[in-house]
Amino acid sequence: MNCGDWEERIALHAGGDLPPAEAVKVGRHLRECAGCQVLASGLKQSLALLREAHHEPLAAAHFSAVRARVVAELAQERRPLWRRAWSYGLVAAAVALLVMLALRPGRTPERRTPVAAASHPPVVAVREPATPPQRSVARRKASRAPASQVVPDREPLIVKLQTDDPNVVIYWIADRKRGD
Amino acid sequence: MERMKALALLATVGPMDGPQDRSEPAARPLEAAKTGDLAAFELLMRQHERLVLMTALRLLGVLEDAQDASQEVFLRLYRNLNKVGASGDLSGWLYRVTVNVCHDAHRKRRVSTPVEDAAGLPALSADPQRTAIATERRRALEMSLRMLSEKERAVLVLRDLEGLSTEEVARVLGTTDATVRSQASKARLKVKDFLERYFRRRT
Repeated sequence: MNCGDWEERIALHAGGDLPPAEAVKVGRHLRECAGCQVLASGLKQSLALLREAHHEPLAAAHFSAVRARVVAELAQERRPLWRRAWSYGLVAAAVALLVMLALRPGRTPERRTPVAAASHPPVVAVREPATPPQRSVARRKASRAPASQVVPDREPLIVKLQTDDPNVVIYWIADRKRGD
Repeated sequence: MERMKALALLATVGPMDGPQDRSEPAARPLEAAKTGDLAAFELLMRQHERLVLMTALRLLGVLEDAQDASQEVFLRLYRNLNKVGASGDLSGWLYRVTVNVCHDAHRKRRVSTPVEDAAGLPALSADPQRTAIATERRRALEMSLRMLSEKERAVLVLRDLEGLSTEEVARVLGTTDATVRSQASKARLKVKDFLERYFRRRT
């Protein structure tokens, strides 16, 4: 049997976790195998170190601190209902007051969303020929064409922005690109 | 008055502290605590505080975290006194809840400085050289426990440090004896390998 197969059993043996029959088998192997003896002694040594380090007592103050915190918490929970209700009521009143202050009418100015004012491009007169109107479909489509068709390409776009202050109006003027 | 009641109860239950609490002399303070007697509950805490705080410290490695966990365990105990009394195994219940609370705390912990903290526990020796060696050794041991998975660490702490039997560990962790044995052997091998590497590098 490969010594690797003994590892788990040797680790259990070091902690006293093997049933007697298994422990005898491991003991027999350990007598014959120097490598496993080193493993077993390393395991026992590390366990001993661990136990030694963790058996140092803690100062009593660390325990009493926990006890004091628990007792304080329980005492808080066991306060009479009327006293707890009083403090909860105080908190509720404070919250209600804050909400009332926040919602007081006239406190918050009415928000106005920016309004894009309609631009008024100068109307370009299109002279119609003197011929009588033809009632063809193509002609009707042409007469319903949007006004932008008659606006020159370079006409600026004007956007009017209204602020909270009625005396302040912002005009935003932008050049149109060709084809916009 | 409360203090007097506590002293009277203390006289009835005899010595406290430590794993010997697994026998159940705590029945009377437990019964008194169930009636809402805070002094009796404080006495119950005194009897089991070592078990809870030391287990939490071994699992978490940070004293402050272990104290928080202990506080949570005792608050849960107070709120479940009737259930615990019915089961009749207070120590088993405390170990189980301590392990669960520590697992939760471990997951929540954002920044951990466990090694420094555990190593910084007050040393008993006044000799600075011995203190330094003890601190170094404690640091290494704490680091070796950090290498383990949560379950391996819980098994190692309960089996090898708290001295519970394999069956008791299995009951506390809600698993089988075979699983406990498997995790115990893995944990022991990992700790041994880590410590050997650590001290070889230092020398």
